[in-house]
Order: sequence, then structure tokens, then C-alpha cells
Amino acid sequence: MALDHLFFKRDVPFPLVDIDLAKATDAELKVLSKDMGLSLSLDEMRRIRDHFVSLKRRPTDVELESIAQAWSEHCCYKSSKVILREHIFGIDNGKVLSRGDAGVMEFDDEYGYALRIESHNHPSAIEPYGGAATGIGGIVRDVLCMGAQPIALVDPLFFGPLDHKGELPAGAKTPKYLVSGVVAGIRDYGNRIGIPTVCGGLYFDESYLGNCLVNVGCVGIVKKKDLRNNAVGGVGDYLILCGGRTGRDGIHGVTFASAELSSKSEDESRGAVQLGDPITKEPLIHACLEVNSLGLINGMKDLGGGGLSCVVGEMALSGGCGAEVDLDKVPLKESGLAPWEVWVSESQERMMLAASEKNVKRILDLFAMWDVDATVIGKVVPGKHVTLRWQGVQVFQVDLDFLTKGPEYCRPCKIETPSKTIKEVRPLLPDTKTVLLDLLADPNIASKEWVFRMYDHEVRGGTVVKPASGMMNLGGPSDATVIKPLPDRERGLALALGVNPWFCGLDAYRGGMASIDEACRNIIAVGGYPDSFTDCLNFGNPEKPERLGELKQAVAGMGDLARFLNLPVPSGNVSLYNETAKGSVLPTPTVLGLGIVEDVRRCITTDLKKEGNLLFLVGETKEEFGGSAVYRRYGAKGGVVPEVIPERLKRSMDEMHAAMKKGLIRSCHDVSDGGIAIAVAEMCLGGDIGAEIKTNYESWYLFSESNTRWIVEVEPSKEKEFLGCLTIPVTKLGKIGGRSLRIKTEVDRTRIPLKEMRKAWSGALPKLMG
Amino acid sequence: MKHVKVCVLRIEGTNCEDEAATAFASVGVSPEKVHLKQLLGQCPSDLKRDLGSYDILMLPGGFSAGDYVRAGAIFAARMKSGLKKDIVRFVEDGKPVIGVCNGFQILVELGLLPAMDGTMSEAPEAALYTNDSGRFECRPTLLKQEKRGKSVFTSQIPKGSVVMYPSAHAEGKLMFPRAQQKKMLERLLENDQVVFRYVDPDGEHAGYPWCPNGSLHNIAGICNPAGNVLGMMPHPERVLKRETHPDWTRVKWKEDGDGLSIFRSAVQSVR
Repeated sequence: MALDHLFFKRDVPFPLVDIDLAKATDAELKVLSKDMGLSLSLDEMRRIRDHFVSLKRRPTDVELESIAQAWSEHCCYKSSKVILREHIFGIDNGKVLSRGDAGVMEFDDEYGYALRIESHNHPSAIEPYGGAATGIGGIVRDVLCMGAQPIALVDPLFFGPLDHKGELPAGAKTPKYLVSGVVAGIRDYGNRIGIPTVCGGLYFDESYLGNCLVNVGCVGIVKKKDLRNNAVGGVGDYLILCGGRTGRDGIHGVTFASAELSSKSEDESRGAVQLGDPITKEPLIHACLEVNSLGLINGMKDLGGGGLSCVVGEMALSGGCGAEVDLDKVPLKESGLAPWEVWVSESQERMMLAASEKNVKRILDLFAMWDVDATVIGKVVPGKHVTLRWQGVQVFQVDLDFLTKGPEYCRPCKIETPSKTIKEVRPLLPDTKTVLLDLLADPNIASKEWVFRMYDHEVRGGTVVKPASGMMNLGGPSDATVIKPLPDRERGLALALGVNPWFCGLDAYRGGMASIDEACRNIIAVGGYPDSFTDCLNFGNPEKPERLGELKQAVAGMGDLARFLNLPVPSGNVSLYNETAKGSVLPTPTVLGLGIVEDVRRCITTDLKKEGNLLFLVGETKEEFGGSAVYRRYGAKGGVVPEVIPERLKRSMDEMHAAMKKGLIRSCHDVSDGGIAIAVAEMCLGGDIGAEIKTNYESWYLFSESNTRWIVEVEPSKEKEFLGCLTIPVTKLGKIGGRSLRIKTEVDRTRIPLKEMRKAWSGALPKLMG
Repeated sequence: MKHVKVCVLRIEGTNCEDEAATAFASVGVSPEKVHLKQLLGQCPSDLKRDLGSYDILMLPGGFSAGDYVRAGAIFAARMKSGLKKDIVRFVEDGKPVIGVCNGFQILVELGLLPAMDGTMSEAPEAALYTNDSGRFECRPTLLKQEKRGKSVFTSQIPKGSVVMYPSAHAEGKLMFPRAQQKKMLERLLENDQVVFRYVDPDGEHAGYPWCPNGSLHNIAGICNPAGNVLGMMPHPERVLKRETHPDWTRVKWKEDGDGLSIFRSAVQSVR
């Protein structure tokens, strides 16, 4: 359909087009949205048309593009906001300091910690190296713009199976290629900016074949007096754009993120993937923190999705003002960009500062010393309009209320719980030794050392519990990592992930709860106490009622449990449309939990410490195999997804924490993927010592993944005191010693040498990655 | 007691300056993080600094200027072009200079190490080459102190003792030009320039992963013939306290980390 009759090129010496929306038919509005890459619905296009009709003028291309950015799913959460408001928002225990681009919680009297996690899924599916690198860049800026020094990076990643042989969805890349590219992108960007990548996860499932998930989290530390709003200070403030230059990379990133991937995404959307430059970012971090701590700025915000078009409006509106910007002052990577391109470009490594006139010179001088560009591009004015000029010509003037109050939908939602409808088919299991070695070598369980040794997880010198725990160069997995943010204080932060997409696929409500439970028990296991969460909700197309139903249920599960524990979720991110023609990804709500560690010198690790010490199981094991590793590995179907009993979790957390504070626990590991058997095996690997365990059940109970459980090591002399601390169920499993793991059940005995376990666990990933 | 001034030098991409400054602060002196442009006078006048006014110079780790040409090459070139005289004087005055990781790479690029024929060689005489594994390696490494004579950095680390300083680098394999490899190594040993070598938990010189990069003769750190310029790949500034050691929950507790002694030694030497 030709739309030429709607476009009127303005007679100015640069590209500027007025669009006659008033004359456009519904069919034309639809085509217009598609052709311009706006990803807006017909209703939304009509709303824009009516707005400009009431103003009695035609919108410019700059205005139309800008509204599309602001109203994208990515920017205004139009499908998810109603659900989030009902379940997640507003949990407040009095320790939330800010809910800005990153959430900020109280750390101690003087400091706060910032946290956020978000997705960079679609860019990484198209260009894994650049997509992952700029994902890190973006999340670091979210923490930075609160005035916080970034101190840790976290990256849970989800791909199709590495050994996938069959056909791939059209346009998709092989999982091995994606894993290599994403890991290299995180490595090169994270290592260069000098923020340790301390915690992560690698998950493999067929559902991620066409649409991998790359979630990136960042934690920062900020003096309360340096905490900044993402807002201008007031009328008269100068707007200073600093960092990288603006180019054509990353145009339409947010609108691209708000549509399903297809075989054409590669060709059509390559330009939506931004290019990262860590060596612009590194000094940008220094310079921003320096001008902030010197009290030279009133507000700061990062340029992410939607670029300038989002940052100027949001900063001005939050400060109760309007703004005027001379768009042609923006430093460019290349000449010839149209005004609308400059306005919506998502070029990386850029920050916006708002400062009073008297401080501008000093700010520019300091940035110059760091060789980082900083340019005054506009000013804060009274009123509620943002006005843009290009070579003196007004190219844009929009009311901020209209721009930023995007649509909000209560879309139809269908709730299904497959675990209740699929008939459970139990697997035929081989002998226990085979099952255990198979599971240790399952890429979802196997050692991730191949990945985390490439990440600098110790830069900044504050990593107390590292990704590996135990003997040097022989460590087992850690449950949470612990960071000591301040050199002169022993107070620390525990960072732990919780997510189980397979639970969520069968029962999104229980799966959502399980993700919170897992993050909590991981934090408890290292000696911390859960303090807050940030979440990245990766789901399919919300316009399909079943997908939205999954989102609603998972969020309800997470929210109900977080609310019961009275632990806030001060930040988060929603990524929808993770879907290809072959179907949606598993519902994947990733939770990053943060815990406070009162004294990092009292931390507990997972590795077994000493021959003769006793092993206990804390918590209750039930017949809950739905979504478990053992069911997936051996082709079972259905099954009950492990439930969480909120009161039980809370009591377990408190009692375990008390026992740890009393020094009664020598090592501790949470029970998750692969159940008790795998948890004990991993503890043996870390300590490079065997153990003997007994159970009165059949062996396959050892693989149940019931929630709220830990394995703990206790010295025999402290057994009585330890048991006296607990009112929750606790069972003696056995004791430590020897060079193998020995498992005795009612019916059989199994002996698995440490050597064989290590080969299976450590060898799997390097072998698959080649 | 003398007031000791430490310059922790940085440019864009230097990223271990905070913990480097903490290291010196932990041993009772006041370090200052200084941008190279402050020494070159390319900054607001109140921020200008003079290298000669410091007692110790530290080049921390990171990826200076992105390491896009060769690790450390750009930082070294910028120092050499604007600051050569000041640096030579600093070293000839016997003041301690320590470079860790990227800082070591910079010292080699500058010609301050191994510097067998004078304070600063015109061209680099050695290289820190890509690890044998071909990958960035972040892992614990054990180092044996092997310097026979005294050095300003090892007065508190007895010869033959083993310390744990973690490594994190992609290019840490010390090499000389192939044809001169053997001869240069002999001279290095003869000059008593080898300070640290990678060992395993039994104290034996071992291969990967204990030697994370395949370095010549398991060398982890070297000094100049005078002993006041030290370069090393592993990071002592990351283990100032016991709780950042990799296996601290398994061994008997003590407060200090292994890294402190190197900074204590350096400060003591100028007091």
C-alpha cells in the first residue's frame, strides 16, 4: 500500500517529514505503524491521530517515532503493569530507599545498595556477542545513574540444548554459537569495565532454541548522601549529555524487543542491536561518580531503550518541568542522521546529567580530563512540554503527560496448570550410580567452571564467597556469592539466583514461588539473610491469553511469597514476546535475591570440611517430581511441582540462620536440581572427600526436588546443640569420609568413586563446547 | 615517621585502582589515585600533580585503553612520550615502582622491565603473551618467593615461602624473543631478577592450572636488577584480608591476607 500521500517533506535543509494522520484510514494507520517500525496497535495509532487532530496540526516524524518508543511494551509495560501492581509492587518493609532505574535498599547506617536485573534477549538472539555486551552496559548504567558504584554483575543465561541435532526454527542460530558469543560478550565487556561477574546460571531447554534468554543483573553501593533521583532539579538546570557519541546503531531497539522473533529478524533488525564500547564506559563510570560525589549534579539518568526520546521526557517530568533541546548539538558518530534518528537512537555508553549553571564548567573540565565527551544540549524550562530544535527549526513539541502516560491493558488471560491435567508417567530408572553420574553430567547441573573462569570474578578485591567453593582448583558450586562492598567494613551482600522454568511450565504459580524459595535458601546457605529481590520476567506473547496467564500466575506466586516474607522487589524488568513461530519459551521468571551478611568472616561454603563430621538433611522430602531433573533426563511426563509452604520457609530461614550464627554448621548446600543425591555429591567434590548416606526410602526419593531443604555438615560434638535449634524437620543422613559417595537405601547399596563423579561433573561442559 | 606518598596511576580502562589504593591504605599510608593527565598537566590547574613528589608509584591492573593494540602498549606509549625523564629519575632515585597484571604489561612495554642493560630500554625486551589455554583465566595461583638477595618488595616475604595471589588475565605468559629465550632467562636468573614463580600446593613448580598461562620457567613476577621495580601478573591487592582467599573457610583463621606483606615491604623501604 502506498502511503506517499500522507507524507509531506518540510522545506528545510535536513530530513523532516510531517505525517497527515488525520487523513489516514484505519488500514493505512496499520501499514504506517508497520512500515515505520513503530510496533503500535491500531487503537494506539488512532489515539495519536486524535491527539494531533485536537491540536489541529500534523505530527512530525520525530514526534511519531518518539511516541512509539514511549508506548512500547519495553518502555511502558502496557501488558504487565496491571499484574505487577496487583502482586509485586508496593511491598515495603521501610528499608526501600529508592525505586528508580535501579532499586536502592538500605545497606547500613551510611550506605545503600542498588540492584536491578533486566533482559537483553532479542539482541542476543540476533548478535550474541554485541547483544550480551550491551546488556551488561545497560544494566551497569541503571545502577550508576542512582549515584551508585557498580560492584557485581550477575548473568543467568538460557539456551537450546548444546547437542541439538535437528532443525532449528527459521533464522535461529545454533546454541553452541550463541553460548560462545554471549559468554565472550559478557567476558570482554565485564572484564574491561572492571566489575566482577560473580554469579550466574546456564540453563538448557528445547524451548529456548529460537529465542535464547540473556538476563543481566547488577548490584551497586552508594552513600545515602550521594543517592540521586533520575530527575532534573528544577527550572534552569542544564542538560548535559555525556559518554559515547550517537549513531545509527540501536535504532528501534525497544520496538524490536516488543515483537516476536521471525526468520526476517536478522535482516530487518540487525541495526536495532547496539554496539558496546567498554573503554568509553569505564571512564564514564568514574567521571559520573566523581561529579556526583562532589555534589555538582542534581540528577542523572542513563540512555537506554528509546535513547534521548525517553530520557529527556522522563527526567523532566519527574522533576515537574519541561525541557528545550537543541538536537543538532548532540555529538554524532557519523554525519547525515535525521533528527528523528538522533532522538531515538540507542547508541551505548551515554548518560544524561542535570546540573545548575554554576557547576557546568567544572563538570565539563572533569569529563575532559577523563577524555569523555560531555555536551550541554538543552535546558529545563517551566511547563510540561518538551521542545526540540534542529538548526533553529522546531521539529518536535509534545505534552509530557500525553507522551509518558502510555496505554495500559488488562488483556484476556487464560490460566492453565498442566501439572494438574497431564497424567503423570514415571520414568524407568537405571541403577542409582548411573542416574547420579548422568545427572552430574547434565549440562543444567554440570560444573560451569568453563564459563566463570573466563569472567574476572575477583576484580575490586571484595569477593568473599566465589563461584567455586572448596579446594583450590577443585571447587564445587557455591549457592550464593558474597561480596564485601566496603574495604573497611565486614558487612557483606549475598547474591543468589532463583529460577526453575520447568516448574513454571507445569505450574506457573508454584514455579514462581519456587524461584523465590530457591533464592532465599541459597542466601541462607552462605550465612546471609534475605533482604530484597529483583526480577526479570521472561515470557511469551502477552496477546495470547495462555501466555499472559503464565505471567499472571508466576507473578502471583512470587508476589504472594515475597509479601509473606515482607521482602520488597524494588526493581525489575519484563521481557515479553519471547516467542518464535515454533512456540514460546518456557515461562522464565528469574529472581536475583540479595541478602545481608552481618560479618563476612562467618560465611559458610558448600564444600565438606572434615572426615567424621555428620551430614543432616534439613527440610521435608516429598513425592514432588514434576519438572525435576530426573524426570526430564529419563523422559517422564507430568508430576507434582514442588510446593512452598510460606510459614515453613520463614521458620526454616530463621532457625537455620540462628544455627549458623551460633557456629554450629561447618558446610551447607541447598537442595535443588537433582535433589539430595546431587547436593551431597557436589559437597563431596568441593571438599574432595567422600561420604556415606543412608535413607529409609527408595533411592529415587534422593532425586526429588522439594523446596526449602538444605544439606548441612555438623561436628559430632555439636550434634545435640544443632538439633536443639530446629523445630523444622531434620534427618540424619550419614557421615563424611573416604574417597567415594556411598548410598544405602532399604533395597540397595551404591558406591560411586569421587574420581568418576568429578569426571562427569567437570568434563561435561568443556566436552560439549569443544 | 616519614609521611609516605603513594601514586596509584590510572587512565581509561585501568580498573584495579580502588583495591590498589586500599592495599596501601591498609598498611598505614595515604595513597592518591592520579590520572596520567594530572601528571602531564592536561587538567584543571588545581588537579595538577608532580610524579617526583611521590615516594612509591603503583600501576594497577585493568585494560588500559582497552588493550586493543597490545596489552599495556598505549598506556606505556603515553607515559613515555610525556613523562620519560620523570620516570627514569623516579627509578634511579631508588623509589619503588610496582606494576600488577596490566601494570606489569605496561612496565615491560615501557622498558622498565626486565631492563637488564640500564634503567629503561628503548624497546620492549620481553612480552607477556596470550595464555597457553587461549582464554582469560581467573583462578587462585600460588607463588614461591625465589629472590636470593634483598628487594624492597620482599623484606616481609621470606625466600622459599609460598603466597596465594589470584590471577586474572588473558595475556600473562612471559616470553623473550625465541632465539634469545635461553640466554635471557639465564641472565635474568643470574641478575637475581626472578621474584615469584608459580607452584602447586606442594610447593613444586607445576603446569596448568597452577601455572595459568604457560609462562617461561613458571615465572609470575620479576624485578629490575636494582630490585626497586617489580612487575607481576597475580594480584596481591585482592587478598588483603583472609576472607578473600579462595579456601579461607577450610583453613585455620588469621586476619591478614597474603597480599599485605608486599605492600608493607614497599612502604617500610621508603620510611
